[in-house]
Order: sequence, then structure tokens, then C-alpha cells
Amino acid sequence: MDAFQGLMSGFQVAFSLQGILFVFIGVFVGTFIGMMPGLGPISAIAIMIPITYSMDPTVALVMMAGVYYGAIFGGSSSSILLNAPGVAGTVATAFDGYPMAQQGKAGKALAIAAIASFTGGTVSVILLMLFTPMLSAVAVSFGPAEYFALMFMGLTAISSLSEGSTIKAFISATLGFIVVTIGIDSQTGTSRFTFGNPNLLEGIDFLVIALGLFALAEVCTLVLNRKDDTMSNNKELGSLRISKQDMKEMRGPMTRQSLLGFIIGVLPGAGATIASFIAYITEKKMAKNPEEFGKGSIKGLAAPETANNAATGGAFVPLLSLGIPGSGTTAVLLGAFLVLGVQPGPLLIQDRPEVFWGIIASMYVGNIFLLILNLPLIPYIAKVLRIPRPMLISLVIIFSLIGVYAISFNTFDLYLLVAFGIIGFLMRMVSFPAAPFILAFILGGMMEQALRQTLTISNGSLSIFLDKPIALTLIGVSLLTILVPLFTSKRKLTEASPEKQKNIS
Amino acid sequence: MLKRINQKIAVILASFAGVYLILSYSLPKYQNAIIDADVVPKGLGFLLLFFAVLLFFDKKEETEAEKQKRTLSKSNFLILLAVLAFILIYISLLEILGFLIMTTLFIFGCSLFLGYKKHFANGIVSVVFSVAIYGLFNYLLRINLPAGIIPF
Repeated sequence: MDAFQGLMSGFQVAFSLQGILFVFIGVFVGTFIGMMPGLGPISAIAIMIPITYSMDPTVALVMMAGVYYGAIFGGSSSSILLNAPGVAGTVATAFDGYPMAQQGKAGKALAIAAIASFTGGTVSVILLMLFTPMLSAVAVSFGPAEYFALMFMGLTAISSLSEGSTIKAFISATLGFIVVTIGIDSQTGTSRFTFGNPNLLEGIDFLVIALGLFALAEVCTLVLNRKDDTMSNNKELGSLRISKQDMKEMRGPMTRQSLLGFIIGVLPGAGATIASFIAYITEKKMAKNPEEFGKGSIKGLAAPETANNAATGGAFVPLLSLGIPGSGTTAVLLGAFLVLGVQPGPLLIQDRPEVFWGIIASMYVGNIFLLILNLPLIPYIAKVLRIPRPMLISLVIIFSLIGVYAISFNTFDLYLLVAFGIIGFLMRMVSFPAAPFILAFILGGMMEQALRQTLTISNGSLSIFLDKPIALTLIGVSLLTILVPLFTSKRKLTEASPEKQKNIS
Repeated sequence: MLKRINQKIAVILASFAGVYLILSYSLPKYQNAIIDADVVPKGLGFLLLFFAVLLFFDKKEETEAEKQKRTLSKSNFLILLAVLAFILIYISLLEILGFLIMTTLFIFGCSLFLGYKKHFANGIVSVVFSVAIYGLFNYLLRINLPAGIIPF
């Protein structure tokens, strides 16, 4: 099936009544959850997974993709209206979006964000459609050694690029990998670290980790900040109208950052957050009047919004073509694929073309939905921000508990969930990033399998990696990404605006 | 001795790595397996130990923001403990009393405890939410949440 035919069959999925309905539900729920402070795409996807269990996999995944980019989109609204980004990927949006809202131009800021996101999202879907089949064709020839090397690179990249201490990020990744060794070993049948508990034989479900480390840990932070009344701020939105002059100003950043954002999104470890900061910084450097940045510049708002949505599309490239997630969010999305019995990877286009093309086609539709949702409905959706915190906390707790119960029908997993919630909260307190943990947890099982297959082929000799140029190069790059930041003091992108940093997390 | 918080964490992590390594070394061995089940855990144990040592000697001072993040007042700590207790009660009674009753009670009780004063709205939300989720899962998605003492 060539790309055009494939896309047409994908549109058949996306334009079916079910397809349209679930894309809409996906982006709506994603926007809704993404707007809530602290609840980002990881929590949104994890909370939605139980709902997909009995659904057709294609429709379910189309919906989950919608939840993902919907949540990124939703995060920008709370950044603009409240200066409280729901997601790290929209922190840079607040730099110029919030000053604009304070000047009484919140409506205009939201409209700019919506159009910029739409452009970034749409351009990245086109690029995704072009590049994924090409990468899949190359990846078909990859053996376990190359896969191991790729996953290793993904893990080292996310650890060395994550915020704060690199050592802590690597420790977090190692711990995630350690947790996945619990359970029956798939190759020898040895039960490892189960302490005779039958509930642990199958290992710990990734949803327990995802909901514990992210949603429940966030609940703790919400409990601590429950008296924060910025939520009830009710400002006038102002007009949504954008003038021709404004459009002209947006055109440059939108074109450049769609491409740049997409490329950054494809890279392992770098995602929407890094893309949006780089976009902001490059546009500020290129601008004729950089002093406007931070005071409500249209360019400063359009650039990060375009980039974070473009990066979201880019992040799908390694996920769909290699089956390897490059970030915490795509790792949870991979979990959603696996729950539904769909294995993403180079064979996805051949084996399940309806899933692959259905997701791509639905992204075009989903981006249009987001534009529709964001422009006229935003003032109404913004009311979600007025849900009283105590109620929000109770509901998030219940959602997390149901999510885990619905996969295991077992209260043991609920206690585990609470334990990981506590671990997640402690990790936040001592500034250990959770994204490397979840990525290592998802990749760990696959990495161990790939490593052992590779070494079994070579009869236990590590020299097999020396005979495989692709694997060797990837491992070399990964080792550099570990060693360079560990032994040099690195400059952080996020230092660009330290005072704004306090507002996140 | 253990001046910095990072050093304390490093010691905890190193002890954890030690226990994990002991457990890894006591995993049963199989003659025929070229790469046995204990290889990766051993590697991970040593890796964690290595990073713990690096963390111990890491000279980087804690920033003000980081310090602030880990301060927790006693009253907040007690509130978190209470919410934890609510959750544990919910889990332990979920399969006995059933989803509908426990969820309604949890949402009402937890929201009330955290300072939500509009009792009427609270009551309506907790009942409607529980019934809607129960209906969605049991009848639309065909995932049976525990009915408990309620017969449907």
C-alpha cells in the first residue's frame, strides 16, 4: 500500500462516525485535563487507558493520540490565563502569553496560541506521514543489538536532558529499570524479587507506576497548595480578533518553529519542553526588537506554541516506526498500545495499516477540532479552572484508583499504586525527575530482552556490538551523553528565565 | 558527616543497591542459559551503587527553590497522612461495600475534609459522579466494578 492509498484508508477510519466521535472525545478530554495545573499528558493518557479496554484498538488509539496533543494544547490555556502551566511543555507560552492576558488581551493571546498550535500540529503531521514509513523501512533490518543500542540512547538522552541534576536523572532511570526486573523472567522462568508473593509474578503494571508517580504525586502537591486561589480568577477575555498585521508577525516564527519543533520532537529525550524553549530563545535572538519579548510579544507567544505542538507530532516518529518511545509521555502511550494488543514498530505499517494510517489521518482531523474547541469554546472550557481544589483532588484520586482497579481487579495493585504515589511525592521533594523512571520502566523489559538475545547470539561475548556499526555508533553517542554532562558543568536551557521556573511543578 | 541532603539520599540508595545485589546474587542459576536471569539485575545493582557514590561526592549545592520544595510543615504533613488514611480505608472496603457507596463517601468526605464548604453541591457531585462512572464502566465498557452490598 503506498502512502496516498494508506492515507485514504486512514481517512476512512478518521471520518467514520466512531472515528470523529472518539477523536473529539480524545481532544476534548485531553484539553480538559491538560488545563488543570500539574496534570499533564502523562496523567491524561494514563487516566484514559481503562476506558479503552473494550474498544476497537484503532479507534482507541486514535482517541489516545487526541488526548496527548489535546493535553499539550490545554496546557497553553492555563499558561496564558493563569501563568500556571499545566504541562512543562507550555511553560514558555506563559512568558508572553500571560503578560498579554494581563493587558486585557487574553482572547487574542488564546487565538494566537490556537492558530500557532494548529500550524505546528498540522505541519508536523505532514512530516510525520512522510518520514515514518522511511524510517520503518530502515528499521526492519534492525536486530536485537541495534534495538538495544537505540533504547539505551533514548534512556541516556532523556536523563541527560532532563531538568536539574543529571546524576539524579540517571538514578531515577536505574530505579525504573530495577522495578521492571520484578516478576517472572520471560526467558528462564525464574521468579525474581517477588518474595513469594503471587501478585508480583507478572511484574508491576505500568499503569500503577504512571498513575502513582504522576497523578497521585501531583495530588500531594495539590493538597499542599489547595488554598491557592488564583484558580478562581475571573478575568475578562477581551476580543479574539487577530489583525492582518498580527498574522504577518506570526508567519515567520510559525514556519521556522514548525520544522525545528518537529525535528526536536523526533530526537530521543528532547520533547515539547525543550522544543518550546529553543523556539523562544531562537526567535528572541532573531527578532528586530527583542526587548518586546516577555512583555506580551506576539512572536514570543507564537514560537513556543508552534514548537511544542510540532514536537508532539515529531515524538510519534520513533514511537510508530521503531516502537521506541523517546519521552515519558510517549512511553505511557506505548503502554496504551500494548494494552490494546498493538505492537508499534517497523512492522506496524505492514501488519496494521489501519492503525497506522488511522492515527495519522485522525491527527489532521484532531487538529481542526482543537482549533474549533480553542477558539469559540475556550471561555467556557476555562471554567474548568474554577473547579474547587478539594473536589479536584478527590476526583483525581478516584480516577487513579479506578484506572488501576479496572485492569487488575485486585486491591493489591491499589496498595502498590499508593506506594508509588508516595515514592513519586518523595522524588519530587528531593528533586528527582520522574520521566526517566517511567521511560526506563517501559523500555527496561524490552532492553533486557534485546540485550540477552544479542549476547545469546554471540555466546556471551560483548564483541558482537563491535561488529555492528549502527549499534556501535548509537552506544558511542549514548556514552558521550552520559559522560559529558556528568563531568562538566552544563548550562541549562531553562536558565533562560529562572524567575518563571518557580511557577512550574 | 552527612551534611548535605544528597549525601543522605546517596547512603539510602547505596544500601538499597546493596540489598538488591545480595538478592540478585542469590537468584537460582540455570546451567543451560547463556545469559541467565541474574545478569541484568547484577549490572543494575552495581550501576545504582556507582551513581549513589557519584551523588555522595557531588559538590553541587542545593538551590533555594529545591530547599523550599522539600520543606513540609507539620500541619500539611498531617493532612497528607489523613488523605492517605482515607485512601487506604477506601481500598480496604472497596470490594466489601462496593464501588458506589465507597466512592460517594470518599468524594464527599475527602472534599469536605480538605475544606470544601458547599455541602449540597458536594453531595450532588459525589453521587452523580459515582453513578455515572459506575454506569459507564459496568454497562458501556463492560468492566465490572465491585457491586458490594448493592444488588445491581
